[in-house]
Amino acid sequence: MLILSRKSNESVVIDGRILVKVIRLDGDVVKLGIEAPADVPVHRQEVYDEIQRSNHEALTTGKPIVPRLTRREHRSAPEAALVVPRDQNYTRTVTH
Amino acid sequence: MPVMKTEAEPTSVSESSGERPSVVVQLPLGLIGFESIKRYQLSSQPDEAPFAWLHVEGESDLAFIVVSPFEVTSEYEPQIGEEDLRFLGLPSVDDAVIYNIVTLDRKGGGTINLKGPIVLNPRTLVGKQCIPLNVSQLSVKHPIPAV
Repeated sequence: MLILSRKSNESVVIDGRILVKVIRLDGDVVKLGIEAPADVPVHRQEVYDEIQRSNHEALTTGKPIVPRLTRREHRSAPEAALVVPRDQNYTRTVTH
Repeated sequence: MPVMKTEAEPTSVSESSGERPSVVVQLPLGLIGFESIKRYQLSSQPDEAPFAWLHVEGESDLAFIVVSPFEVTSEYEPQIGEEDLRFLGLPSVDDAVIYNIVTLDRKGGGTINLKGPIVLNPRTLVGKQCIPLNVSQLSVKHPIPAV
């Protein structure tokens, strides 16, 4: 692991496109500012690890039985996913 | 001349007889821990609603079970960051379709992960597993109410 010393307001540049800046030191808390392109996800590690673990547990192979919810009648998911927001831009104009 | 406006209809649902309807969903960044898998087939069957399947494209054995979180809890308000919305081309979270991943247990029930919603743009079918700004208040194992 590369270890660098930085003061408040000093930065590190990674790969010419990711900037990590020390914003403030407050006791044992360091506030970091991170600038990265949209295709570089930035996460707190413990949250990332928790979601990663959950995703791995959730991956299914084969065909498990899904739980049952006692609810109203549902639309099928792709249909729900394709429901277009009610916005003027998404309406079609038909003339007679 | 009278003008009538009608709701736009979904155009890309493939539905051949006997097959469950499905759409291809693209996750350019993958799911967390599965970053290299970027294309999924989202499908569902009426008798399994509101649960749906997110099958890894080309690996039909591998799948995630997903559900709209609002079918499971009425108290879910993930705060999706501006950068995520911009990435997805969404003006606001109200324009998104949200699915959360289900983890089954051995007793026929399960939990959903509220910390990592899959936020989809319903027009482009591009999505991302986002970490909401209020993640610290959300459960990674929210129980699905049993029947």
